[in-house]
Amino acid sequence: MVIKISVKNLNMSYGNYVVMNDLSFDVQQGEIFLIVGQSGCGKSTLLRYLLGLKRVGRHKIFYDGTDMNSMVNVPGFYGKKIGVLYQGGALWSSMTLAENVALPLETYTPLSKKEIEEIVALKLSLVGLKGFEDFYPSQISGGMQKRAGLARAMALDPEILFFDEPSAGLDSVSAKRLDDLILELKESLGVTIVIVTHDLASIFAIGTRVVYLDVESKTITAMGTPHELLASSNDPNVIAFLSRGTKAV
Amino acid sequence: MAVVYFPLEFLRRFTSLSGSYFREKKIFDNMPGIAEWRVESEGVAIISIAGTWSIYEKHPHAEEFIETIVSKSSIQRIDLTFVDLKGWDSVLINFLIRILTICESNNLAVNGDNIPIGIRRLIELSKTSPVRSTLPTSKKKSTIFEFAGGAGLLIFLSLKNFLGFMGKLHGGIISFIRGKVKIRGQEFAVMLQDVGVKALPIVALISFLVGLIIAFVSVLQLSQFGANIYVADLVGISMMREMGSIMTGIIMSGRTGAAFAATIGTMVVNDEVDALQTAGFSSIDFLVLPRVLALTLMMPLLCAFSSFIGITGGACATMFSTSLTIAQYCIQTAHAVCLNDFFVGIIKSCFFGFLVATIGCQKGLQCERSAEDVGITTTTAVVTSITAIIIMDAIFAVVFSWFGI
Repeated sequence: MVIKISVKNLNMSYGNYVVMNDLSFDVQQGEIFLIVGQSGCGKSTLLRYLLGLKRVGRHKIFYDGTDMNSMVNVPGFYGKKIGVLYQGGALWSSMTLAENVALPLETYTPLSKKEIEEIVALKLSLVGLKGFEDFYPSQISGGMQKRAGLARAMALDPEILFFDEPSAGLDSVSAKRLDDLILELKESLGVTIVIVTHDLASIFAIGTRVVYLDVESKTITAMGTPHELLASSNDPNVIAFLSRGTKAV
Repeated sequence: MAVVYFPLEFLRRFTSLSGSYFREKKIFDNMPGIAEWRVESEGVAIISIAGTWSIYEKHPHAEEFIETIVSKSSIQRIDLTFVDLKGWDSVLINFLIRILTICESNNLAVNGDNIPIGIRRLIELSKTSPVRSTLPTSKKKSTIFEFAGGAGLLIFLSLKNFLGFMGKLHGGIISFIRGKVKIRGQEFAVMLQDVGVKALPIVALISFLVGLIIAFVSVLQLSQFGANIYVADLVGISMMREMGSIMTGIIMSGRTGAAFAATIGTMVVNDEVDALQTAGFSSIDFLVLPRVLALTLMMPLLCAFSSFIGITGGACATMFSTSLTIAQYCIQTAHAVCLNDFFVGIIKSCFFGFLVATIGCQKGLQCERSAEDVGITTTTAVVTSITAIIIMDAIFAVVFSWFGI
């Protein structure tokens, strides 16, 4: 298996306050890798480190074997290499959905205007938003904003897609639909997907592997498939998290 | 361009692989995406797709490509084959969707059995999206009458909203005077500091320069008549009656009024205003009243400060450009400026402060729910405040001259 992301002995902190210590894990190509843990354990902080939004020391995070520090400033790292779906969609409110998706295509590809329009329509139809091209983000629901955010994240067909709490704020049907879409994208496009979540239904439905960040020991205490961890983990916190506190070790 | 054909068995295995295979293998050579067609047997055209189909590389366009095939009436069916396909992304999916759509509209049968499974799934997924036909806004071109009517209606509604808001605000003020509404002391003190003390440097700078400019311009004219001493009169009266209050009002519009609109607008976007309502707090009492009171109280002080600094600026300019001494300038100013001038400026600044704060808060509360709207709200608040200040000043000028003040 090809390793897409490699994290080595990463320490995360806010000033003097240490969030997590000594994090090491690999994300393999084509898998859905979940970062889970209790609220406040540093999941979103880890995501910010992985995205390069928080600067990290050298030789800590590698993409395809290359140190992230030498990649983040290269044009195309964002969009071509990685795409991100933020919790609320984070669509640009002054632009229509079509303009949101078209902007990376206009900036980074030599495609003609007509082709960009076609690809925008394709991306929006893939996320079930065909015909919503001219809508502004404020005119659609939260679930639709998330799907439009996903269409924008996929605009340049990135190799890795990051999701920050994709099911947060969605009803169970919409969350299931989004999970199905994520699975479909993984199967069809073969993209690597990294998701920060604490939604148990999603964890068991789509997760290939899970890394558990423990808020007490401030490090990774479990890694494996969700079902494996639930069945055989010795860590009471992991079992409690994955069983919603109903199962004891 | 020549296309290399592989044995049938290999072709079957190859075309059944998904896109992930190509991404994993990373066998990107520099061959761009190509599509070629030939007639295999009577009535059947074969389209061969090969190379690397990437949004960053050159590739055929569906419409141009299919045009010649469609124009041949002898062709009844198209077979799609994928030979030596090195990699693909959205452009190939788009290409195939366009081909399928055009063929369908021209009643041409397409055999897509060889389409790689990943691409086929994505094409199917794109078809499952429900189509919404109605657009949120119509882009119909309006006539001049519709435009004028719309503009008139907008002004009417804005006025109505503003009057409604003023009504609520006055209700809040009356409740405050009666002691039914309490303002939190510590927060109010911080607000006074924000709108008053922290504005001193910018008010000082602008007022000093305005005084300086008035003095310089006056010296240029009055020196021709040997009437330099009257520069003090001009600077003193204009700063006390007009410039002090107007300049402070304009500075406060850009600084504090904009800040009020942006803060409250962002609170609307973040549902904080709704949260206040549902927690039983009135947004007028909680957000608007302290701001309006703070700015209305601080504006006269800032205006007095502005007038003093403006006169100082005028004195500096006069001393540098004429032979007048500071003592002569001060005595002349004291002779020229009376208490009426001072109070005219102070009264006007009270109204300006009230206007700036009210407009800032009202625009903030009217903000829609997006980041862009916060910007629009802030701009509107500043523009409206400045316009209102100028109109109000004109009304004051008429009223004061009427009463001979």
